[in-house]
Amino acid sequence: MRKRTAFSGDVAGSGALMGRARYLWLLLPIAGLVELGAFVHDARSAPRLDEWQAVRGEVAKLKGPGDLVVVAPEWTDPLAREAFGDALMPIANEARADDSPYARAIEVSELSASAPEFARWPTEETRDVGRFRLRVHRNPEPAKVLFSFLDHVRPQFLAVHEGATDERACQFTAHAAVTAGGLHGHLAFPRERFNCGGEEFFVGVTILDDQNYRPRRCIWAHPRGTSVLRLNFSEVTIGRQIHGYAGLSYFLFRDGLHGPTLLTARVNGEEVGRYLHHDELGWHGFDFDTSRFAGQIANVEFDVHSDDPSDRQFCFYADTR
Amino acid sequence: MNDARKLDRTDRVICLVLCLGYVALLLSTVKNLGYARDEGFYFQAARSYESWFELLGKDFQLALEPSVIDRYWGVNHEHPALMKSLFAFSHHYFFEVFRIFREEGTAYRFPGMVLSALGVVVTYAWGKRALGRAAGLVAALSLAFMPRVFYNAHLDCFDTPVMTMLLITSYAFARSLEAGPAWAIATGVLYGLLLDTKHNAWLLPAAFIAHFLLSRGAHAIRELRAGRVAIPSALFAMGLISPLVFYVGWPWIWHDTARRIADYVAFHLGHEYYNMEFLGQTYWKPPMPRLYAWVMTLGTVPAITLILFALGLAVSALRRVPKWRRLVLPLAATESKHDESTPLLWLLCLLICYAPWWSDQTPIFGGTKHWITAYPFLCLFAGRGFAVAVEHVRTLIPWRRVAPFTAQGLAACVLVGPFCMTLHSHPWGLSFYTPLVGGAPGAASLGLNRTFWGYTTGAVEDFIDQHAPPHASIYVHDTALQSWDMMHADGRVREDLRGSLSIPGSALALYHHEPHMHRVEYEIWIDYGHDAPADVGTFDGVPVVWVYQR
Repeated sequence: MRKRTAFSGDVAGSGALMGRARYLWLLLPIAGLVELGAFVHDARSAPRLDEWQAVRGEVAKLKGPGDLVVVAPEWTDPLAREAFGDALMPIANEARADDSPYARAIEVSELSASAPEFARWPTEETRDVGRFRLRVHRNPEPAKVLFSFLDHVRPQFLAVHEGATDERACQFTAHAAVTAGGLHGHLAFPRERFNCGGEEFFVGVTILDDQNYRPRRCIWAHPRGTSVLRLNFSEVTIGRQIHGYAGLSYFLFRDGLHGPTLLTARVNGEEVGRYLHHDELGWHGFDFDTSRFAGQIANVEFDVHSDDPSDRQFCFYADTR
Repeated sequence: MNDARKLDRTDRVICLVLCLGYVALLLSTVKNLGYARDEGFYFQAARSYESWFELLGKDFQLALEPSVIDRYWGVNHEHPALMKSLFAFSHHYFFEVFRIFREEGTAYRFPGMVLSALGVVVTYAWGKRALGRAAGLVAALSLAFMPRVFYNAHLDCFDTPVMTMLLITSYAFARSLEAGPAWAIATGVLYGLLLDTKHNAWLLPAAFIAHFLLSRGAHAIRELRAGRVAIPSALFAMGLISPLVFYVGWPWIWHDTARRIADYVAFHLGHEYYNMEFLGQTYWKPPMPRLYAWVMTLGTVPAITLILFALGLAVSALRRVPKWRRLVLPLAATESKHDESTPLLWLLCLLICYAPWWSDQTPIFGGTKHWITAYPFLCLFAGRGFAVAVEHVRTLIPWRRVAPFTAQGLAACVLVGPFCMTLHSHPWGLSFYTPLVGGAPGAASLGLNRTFWGYTTGAVEDFIDQHAPPHASIYVHDTALQSWDMMHADGRVREDLRGSLSIPGSALALYHHEPHMHRVEYEIWIDYGHDAPADVGTFDGVPVVWVYQR
């Protein structure tokens, strides 16, 4: 038997695996060193902030007005926002309802990643800058937005009332105190809003978290109790449809414990569509046909109502196109 | 177990070096590690317990009154008291009295560090006794240099302490099977302390009973038929001594005992489901992913350690099959039959540590710390795999002068990676992933959790100090205010700055990334009016924590 040394292990005897196979044991130390090498490689694989800052100029050159700047993989987004600033990546783009209105998207990618949502958009241009690949994607069918309700939550275009019959007007203020509920509380309540009395009863623009916890800018429209909250937009250019999304903070309402919320749209007093939103759907789309009003300048009313009187923190996006 | 495996003077020196070395390493790296959310709660509890101990010294009768006990021990009574009491003693003596530590937080963290080091030492001791010195060392260092273990070893928490206590109790149980009643009594006492550490203790008896049945069941039945009881005395000790130790060590259950223990058990059996990201999905209610524990182990434990573990496990399994044993791995003549029951105990302990995550009803919010108790056993198998590999690799080395150094060379090859990865992971322990998933960038792309517990505030403390206006309010997000206050007390953030859980009114706002918490970031966007962070704390290029400036 083999003599034991201070460093000997518990298995004595010769290798039982015979022939060339016994050399497989040498893979063990090699595996240790290979893992070390792979670790060093991985640790250095992702670009750092200074590299992001260095690519900013190229991105700014490529970006035209109205273009979207996106990153891949998605987790690099905070670094991009720090390096590029919100001039290139403003909240409106980051928290967009969807990609359909954008004519072009400038994709900044690292680690050979690509943004799946633009896979069907033809690539106009590809450029390697440092460790980044810049791709310019062109939307094959960009939607022409005629009127974004989200961008017109102001007294010139919007009047807000509570109650379908005994209407109470909600007053606009541009100087409300911003409040935010933190993780378990309400969404941020913005400075500019139509106050209906009571903190959460207002109409204003905020951002919710969708079912992927991504940001979506939307019009907060929390009905009081079971009464109707009415948003009346004037001088709206009407197209073939009202395109929109609705939701509540997914984190808060993903269990779907509440009753649904109904959104009804009317053009010049004539109903064009209804959307019944269930909380657990997250950010969910709707389209109302308005082709019979296409080309007109009209009033558009949205009624928000729920038979469930509690916590209807409803928020929606809509445009005409 | 043969005499050659007893711990000699050299081993005692190695134990001392491992213990002191690991504690020194932890102390030298603690300064830039922010305080985790739960640490804040345990600081608060330890302070309360410390006050009670002071009262006990001044007015013994008063301190024992139920209403007084409730006042002081009601804080954080969902966890037993051993570690929080040690945190309190450490704070009292090492910070208040002897001023050994300049930072209060380090004094609170110190007992956890010592117990973590003890875990490394006991892994060595058990490995040495069962496998030999080199294997014991590889097992111990593999444990010490698991990045997630290293992170948790710094904390004023219970996770590495319960890892160590579970290991020590198992070691004592194993010793009790071969030695006199002292080890059995020790097992009883240690299990009581383990119960007083954390509820991971509850399943351990199942491993011991299974071990008894599988290794000595037939013998026990024969004895029973002959009218003799052959149950290990340690199991009796655990039944008799442990409950007493548990009771004595936790004043909260000194009165209203049955109801409070029932509440304690119910709290953990019906624990709330917090959010956890796994493979791109956030889980917040059952069914939880059954692969979670296995994938996270694969993604966070160095692969070389896992390979050695698999090898050790295979060797242990093959040894139990006589035909294969002779074919592949001849049994050493010096090994007793009992040696085969030790790996069985390791395996059973390892399995019970993972057992709760075989159910899709078990919460996963704590990530790898949930089953961290399994890692010493995993490393002991890795030690066994190493021992086998050394013997085989030695036969392949053609140079006589080199061959005697096979163990050292192989140990270097299997430890250098874990060592480098662990040191590199600091202070981003929970963001670390192994090359198997592409490191931190690969894990982020796979949608594995990047951080939780809000401890990475420590990584942006310099930015906060440099950029916050005078007397500013800092929105600390997921960092507990008690944890922020400790950074304050330790002088890690400016004295004039105030931690806050309110975004409006803050001058800087932190965001610790977890997908379900994104909504907090959007609140900051609305209030601050922009979406560009002023500073992003990254680990290997992966954003983990970022700061907005108003």
